[in-house]
Amino acid sequence: MSSEQEKLIAELIEKGLAGDMDSINAIEDRVLRSKVKSGLAKAKRAAKNAAVAAAKESSPEESSAEIMPSDHPNQKFAFMIEEKFPDSLADTLNDTHIQIKPDQWFEIASWLKSEPSLYFDSLQCHTGIDLGENMLEARYNLHSMKHDHKIEIRIAVSRDNAHIPSIEQIWRIGDWFERETYDMFGIFFDGHRDHRRMLLPEDWEGYPLRKDYEVQETYHGIIIPKVKEGWE
Amino acid sequence: MGVVHGEEMVLNIGPQHPSTHGVLRLKVKTDGEIISEITPVIGYLHRCFEKHCENMTYDQVIPFTDRCDYLAAMANNFGYVVAVEELMELKVPEKVEYIRVIMAELQRIASHLLALGVYGLDIGAFTPFLFMLRDRERILDMFEMTCGARLLYNYMWVGGVSHDLPKGFVETAFQFLDYFEPQIEEYNKLLTYNKIFIERTADIGVLPQDVAISYGVSGPNLRASGVKWDLRRNDTYSIYEKFDFDVCIGDGGQGTLGDCWDRYYVRMLEIKESVKILRQALAQMPKDGDVHQALPKKIRPPKGSIYSRTETPRGDLGFYIESDGSPIPTRVKMRSPAFTALSVLGELAGGWMMSDVISILGSLDIVLGEIDR
Repeated sequence: MSSEQEKLIAELIEKGLAGDMDSINAIEDRVLRSKVKSGLAKAKRAAKNAAVAAAKESSPEESSAEIMPSDHPNQKFAFMIEEKFPDSLADTLNDTHIQIKPDQWFEIASWLKSEPSLYFDSLQCHTGIDLGENMLEARYNLHSMKHDHKIEIRIAVSRDNAHIPSIEQIWRIGDWFERETYDMFGIFFDGHRDHRRMLLPEDWEGYPLRKDYEVQETYHGIIIPKVKEGWE
Repeated sequence: MGVVHGEEMVLNIGPQHPSTHGVLRLKVKTDGEIISEITPVIGYLHRCFEKHCENMTYDQVIPFTDRCDYLAAMANNFGYVVAVEELMELKVPEKVEYIRVIMAELQRIASHLLALGVYGLDIGAFTPFLFMLRDRERILDMFEMTCGARLLYNYMWVGGVSHDLPKGFVETAFQFLDYFEPQIEEYNKLLTYNKIFIERTADIGVLPQDVAISYGVSGPNLRASGVKWDLRRNDTYSIYEKFDFDVCIGDGGQGTLGDCWDRYYVRMLEIKESVKILRQALAQMPKDGDVHQALPKKIRPPKGSIYSRTETPRGDLGFYIESDGSPIPTRVKMRSPAFTALSVLGELAGGWMMSDVISILGSLDIVLGEIDR
């Protein structure tokens, strides 16, 4: 590599770090362009490591909480999400599920489906659960037909503000799944194009699968029989 | 001369209609004979399966799973007990595994026979239905011989099965298979390659692969679109890895890949594969062994949750179970294959003629008990 080229690459990397990617993408020579890009990635990593090291020095207690993922696929996926969408995880890494915050869910979901190395093209199961203490949770079991790997995503919301972005347009089965979860738990899916009850009548009161659900007295003048206490 | 008004008309099919295979209502918007929009309305058979599960012990749930998919009750039992056993990390004796596979495959044949026969009936062919029901009866007789019930068995329990196979079961099963195999050829002659039947099903309701996956369509419906995906192979459970069988996929034999005829024919091919599995399982099954040996005294899974999938005649049956360590499940969610199959109907049926809707709906092989739960 000539010194002239090296100089050019260094210049472009600096531009890239400043956020100017257009001039890099405009390079005609493919070899040169990939060299610049790899250099840029290296520089970014170094900068991040330096920042982490600085954070460690300034607050040693907090840095010990920074956990690297183990070999378990679930932790790797969670780490990838955290890298792509900073501050989106709501819990530490574990082997069974990925707990995320509701706000960025739509973006994360579309990325999970489109990212070639993940390619979660199938929403296997979606359900809600009543955690008690005023909390509800939506759970998504995703599966990739191509790579044959799976994850479970959990999103907890409080009852007073039970809103989660809808992923109905990403996985079409989400349409009916989300309607059922709304029907049974009263979690609202923002952006759903057909947000109605699924199994129960439109004018039913309450959300039956919540633990504190009480059956309404009458429905259109028909008295609803109460469940017998205990089983004989 | 007056002006002809082309207005859209809303037509209700069901909830009480023989070709909806249960209590399903279809809100159909038609422009003359062409369907412009179709909305399935479900919930007429909702029996609060999931709410009931939260009020009873794990083993009391099993009879309820029977009643969800009443045409493949064994397969539903199987799916549920596999999920609970996985949660408890329970290992069941080999003989039990063999019995379960035998029952599940017999059930697959019975369920497919009914699906195919009724499909013929929807299209207007009456005779194949009678032939298939006649042969299904012999399978139900075998179930009755084993556990006393013909439709809703409560046969598979967590850790075992309710009864050992009766004396003479293996011989009866072999006799049935010897009788049954040539019958498949007869069905093919009667229905599969019938010109009218092909005209009514080939090239109708084509389901592309990506749409099928996005809608979570599974089982024979997915395989008919050319996706080689079978949980018995791809995410193997029980002892399916011991058997040699093919995963049948559609090939557009009479029209386009993923049309109604393909969905029909994949089921026919699967019956043959089930016969293959049955012959192997019946021959290899250990003679002795106590089927109650591994039954736990108290079913008390550890705290945690599981999502477990099995392959029923209708597709991927998933059970999501959340346990808090008590003998009563906190949450049981049943992800039913017929539910996802029905959800694609709106996408499939748009643009087809009114008479094709019956063809398309029949080819999806839905059971309303499982959709509404």
